[in-house]
Order: sequence, then C-alpha cells, then structure tokens
Amino acid sequence: MSWRRVFMILGLVVAAYALLAPLTSLDPAQSAGVPLLADRLWFRIATFIAMFIVMATAWNIIGGITGYAAFGNVAFFGIGAYTTGMLIAKAKWPFLAALPFAPVVAALFAALVGLPLLRLRGHYFAVASLGVGVAVGELVQNIDYNGQPLFGGASGLFLPIYAVDNRGLFFFYVMVAAAALAIAVTWWVLRSRFGYGLIAIRENEEAASVLGVNTTAYKVAAFALAAALTGLAGGIFSQWNVFINQDNAFPIEYNVQMILMALLGGTGTVFGPAAGAVLLQLLIQFLGGSLPMSMNLPFVSDAARPIVAQVILGVLLVMVVIFVPRGVIDFFGGRTRLSLAYLRRSLRETSL
Amino acid sequence: MADFVQLVILGLLAGGVYVAVGVGFGLVWGVLNIVNLAHGALVIVGGYITWQLFSALHLDPFLTLPIDAVALFVLGYALQRGVINRIIRAPLLFTFLLTFGVNLVIVNILLMVFGSDFRSVTTSYSGQGLELGSIVIPYIRLASLAAAILLAVGLAFVLNRTRIGLAIQAISSDRDAAQLVGIDLRHAYAVTYGLGAACAGVAGGLIALIQAITPTAGEPYTLQAFVVVILGGLGRVSATVVGGLAFGLVEVFAQSIPGSGSVFANAIAFGLMVLVLVTRPQGLMGRLR
Repeated sequence: MSWRRVFMILGLVVAAYALLAPLTSLDPAQSAGVPLLADRLWFRIATFIAMFIVMATAWNIIGGITGYAAFGNVAFFGIGAYTTGMLIAKAKWPFLAALPFAPVVAALFAALVGLPLLRLRGHYFAVASLGVGVAVGELVQNIDYNGQPLFGGASGLFLPIYAVDNRGLFFFYVMVAAAALAIAVTWWVLRSRFGYGLIAIRENEEAASVLGVNTTAYKVAAFALAAALTGLAGGIFSQWNVFINQDNAFPIEYNVQMILMALLGGTGTVFGPAAGAVLLQLLIQFLGGSLPMSMNLPFVSDAARPIVAQVILGVLLVMVVIFVPRGVIDFFGGRTRLSLAYLRRSLRETSL
Repeated sequence: MADFVQLVILGLLAGGVYVAVGVGFGLVWGVLNIVNLAHGALVIVGGYITWQLFSALHLDPFLTLPIDAVALFVLGYALQRGVINRIIRAPLLFTFLLTFGVNLVIVNILLMVFGSDFRSVTTSYSGQGLELGSIVIPYIRLASLAAAILLAVGLAFVLNRTRIGLAIQAISSDRDAAQLVGIDLRHAYAVTYGLGAACAGVAGGLIALIQAITPTAGEPYTLQAFVVVILGGLGRVSATVVGGLAFGLVEVFAQSIPGSGSVFANAIAFGLMVLVLVTRPQGLMGRLR
C-alpha cells in the first residue's frame, strides 16, 4: 500500500471523527472528558481552522491558479463581515437571509477595484492590493454619516446573539460547509474551461491573450470568485463572533497567513491550501498555548510565550520558503519523498 | 496665505523622513527586485540603537546616525548573504513571504529585548524652532530633512562614483552580463541590501527623534516607503527624493482637511498610490523601461 493511500485513509478517518463525533456525543463526551470533545474551546479552534481553509482556498484561486499575488484579500473578509453585520445589527435581518449578501457585496467590490488593479503585475499588483486592504479597513472604521459613525466606528459593531441550540456546533458546521464549498469551487475551476484560461494567464499572459482568452474578464472573474468565498467566511464570522471591529474584521496578518497556508500546502492544487490551513493554524494555536492539549515550551516563560511563538513562526516561514517551495502536498501526494536530496535540490534551484 | 506656506514647509520637512525611509527601500527593490517587507523592522532597529546610545551614553542623536548606518549595514549584509540570496531566483511571492518572516523575527526579538514600552529621544533642543514671522520651523525637523538629503546624496555618490556602486548598477541593468564581466554577484547583492539597510538605520535614528518608538512602529513605514518609491518612480535616488517630499506634502495637506482628514491619511496615501500606479506606472519622475 502506497503512502499516498495511507495518508488519504488516515485523513478521511480524522475528518470523519472531527465532523461527525460532535453530532452524536457532545454532551455525554463532555461529561466523560473525552479528549478534543471535552473542551468547548476546541470548537472555536476547529471553526477558526475551517475559516482559514475557506480563505486559503479562496486565495489559491487568484494567487495560486491565476498567479496574481493578492496581498489584500482580508479586505473581502472584512467587507463580508460588515455586510452581514450591518444587515443583522441595523436592519434586523435574520442571519441566514443576511449571509448571502456578504459574498455578493465582496465580489462586486472586487470586480470594481479589480478592473484597474489587475492591469498591474508582479510587485505592483501585490502592494496595490495590500493598499486596498489597509485603506478599506480604515474607511470602514472612520466613515461618518450625519456625525454618527456609519459602521459602528472605533467602538465596533455588536450583533444580537443568534438563538440556536449548541451555537458553537452550529457555526462549526456552517463554517465547514463554507470550506467544503470553497474546495468544491476550486475542484470545478481546475476542471473547467475557465480554469484552463486562468492557468494559461499564470504561465504566460500574452500567449493566453493571443490564444483568445479574454484575460481581463478572466482575471476579474477569478478575483471576484476569491472575494466572494472570502466574504462568505467573513459573513459567518460576524454572526459567530457577535462583535466586529477594524481589528478582528481587517487583521493585516490574515493576508500573510492565508498565503502562507496555500504555499505550505501547495498552490494551484485542490486540497493543498486546506492541508496548509490545518497544519499552520494548529501550529499557531499550539505555539500560542491555546490548544487544549498544549504543552509547555522548554526555557520559555508564559509571559514571553506569544512573542517566542511569533519568532518561531517567522523562522518557520523562512524555512518553508527556502526549503519546501512547492508545499508539503508533494510529500503526502506521493509525488516526491521528503529527503535531504529534495531539500538540497530546492535550495539550489533558487539560490544565487 | 501664511497657513499655506506653513503647511508647505511642514510637508517638505515631514517628507525628509520619507526620503530617508524610501531611498533604501527603492535601492533594494530596483536592484534586487525584492519588495523588502522587513524594511520597517530595520528602520526601528536603527531607532533603538539611537535611543540606546542616547539614553545610556548621552550621545547627541544626530551623532548616532553613522553608527546606525554601520550597524545596519553589517546586519543587512549578513541577512542577504545568509538568507535572502537563497531564494533570489524564486518567484516574487517567495521574497515577499521570506522578508515578512524576517520582519516577524526582528520585531519580536526587539519585543523580547526592549519590551513594548514607548521610547522617545528628547534632547535639549527638542521643541524649539526657527520663527519667521508667523511661520515656525522646528529645528529637529529641519536637521532631519538635511540629514535625509545628505543621505540621498551620499547614496547617489556611492552608486555613481565607486567601483561597487557601478557594479550594483550593472547588476540592475543585466544580472547575467554583470556576472560575465566578473562581478561577484553574492557579494554585490549583499552590499546592495546592506546599503538599503544602512539607509533604513539612518531613517530609524531620525524617526526616534520625532516620535516615540515601539518595536511595531516600523510597519507603517514599510508601506509608506512603497508609496514613496511608486510616487517618485523606481530606479533613481533623485526620483525617490521627489517622491518622499511629495508624500510628505500630501500627508500634511490631507491631515489639514477640516473634519476627519487626519484619520484618512493612510487611505488618501494609498488612494494616491493606486491612482499613480494605474495612470502613470513609471512614477512622477520615472522613465519607461
């Protein structure tokens, strides 16, 4: 039996446990103290992981498949969060009616800014999109209307709590559904004419254009699609978290985290970004000490731990970029084996 | 009218810091094709060196600037030689992520060493200024602008009149041809990044003089350096000087808009950048390449 099959079966078993176990055994498990299920915090972390699966998979559509290094996707997350948040908090809409507007508004916004921005290439596009990400957050916090902050201002936006049994579980499943949708969309894109066009743009935009790909329309569509999925995650987040402000709806570090996840897992693939999201988010939570089964790091006091965690994350980032540029999906997918020769080869390929 | 003149002067003075921040960033970008997300962190390292020398040894902050430059040159050289050279042939996303990782490491090491308290450098002449009628020119700002211009002139001199500077320019026009005529690429790349870091260090020293610094205070400067370089146009030191001064003017005028002008300063700066990128991608002063 090949390693690929072993990993696949193992992954399916773990996924099935994570998805189905809470449904049947939540209350008894909590009273019996079964690992993972005993801690309510675990649902929060699992929901966060699903949220990052959505964002990393969505980024993969524009960054991995189309090859445009978008650095401001958190703008769409925030726009989705504020769209749903405003509809629920100010217009008193029910959550499930307000949610579909999050991806729609995010996609419209992406199409609007995408038309000028996607004419830029390389670094210029990357930083222009980063600028949009920063600027949108600032605008949302500071826009006033008749002297009142339109979107809650610096004090943020409070949403009524969504009345449903087992709230943690409910939002976990909603977020997992969004993650499944994002992966399904990627799967479809990679098998469609649209996806072939995007890959052609990534490999050589002039050639794609000569071959009859409407590059502008394709790029904007890919950008809007990524924005819609990211906005969906934001919309779910706003009702799940009940409170949104500039810091939690437009966190700049998400920009880098989603890219790192896609890269760690393998860009341009269906499951790579999801695998990267699970790995990296677990690692971040473990280093930060908030995982239920965490342990103490040697030589590190509790107070210094978050800082040391960031240093380790930075070093890891550097190592991944240098040594595993094609992502870990290569190992799990059975295409290559993790060996010293592989690391040496990827080092030599990019070194000066 | 006096208000307008005062704003123009303040804008040009504010631009001094942006010139200092921008020249090193523009050099690294133009020659190495790296958007250096660790630039702001290097700036703040310079700021902490100045603060440390000022508070422990009572050195005049302006005298610490050469020390900032030398220390950051060494750090930058080692960083490029040891780490960044390893991925110089990789797609641009990788250099982005790598320099972001470096940024994370530097900022958090600073947090470990110095904590997150605000540190400021206050000299005997802080707060004093030259008064010309109703117009006030703060001494520190004026000296900072002079130091920044001096830095830019010095960098231009190194690039145009020294052997290593010409080698750097040769690399920036054609890497492979430069290698063929015998330029040691690894060394020249490391020197380029070292020079960029040295400029960042000087900028950090100036910033410590005009604002209180924390380990995370450098992050806005990375973005602003980018806007400055875009505004001026990539590839020449003089263009970055124009970009820095223009950015200072835009910022000061944006902040003076009555109502909530000041809170939109970032949004205005980025809006301007996107506008320049889309309409005039070579920058205000740049040539098409």
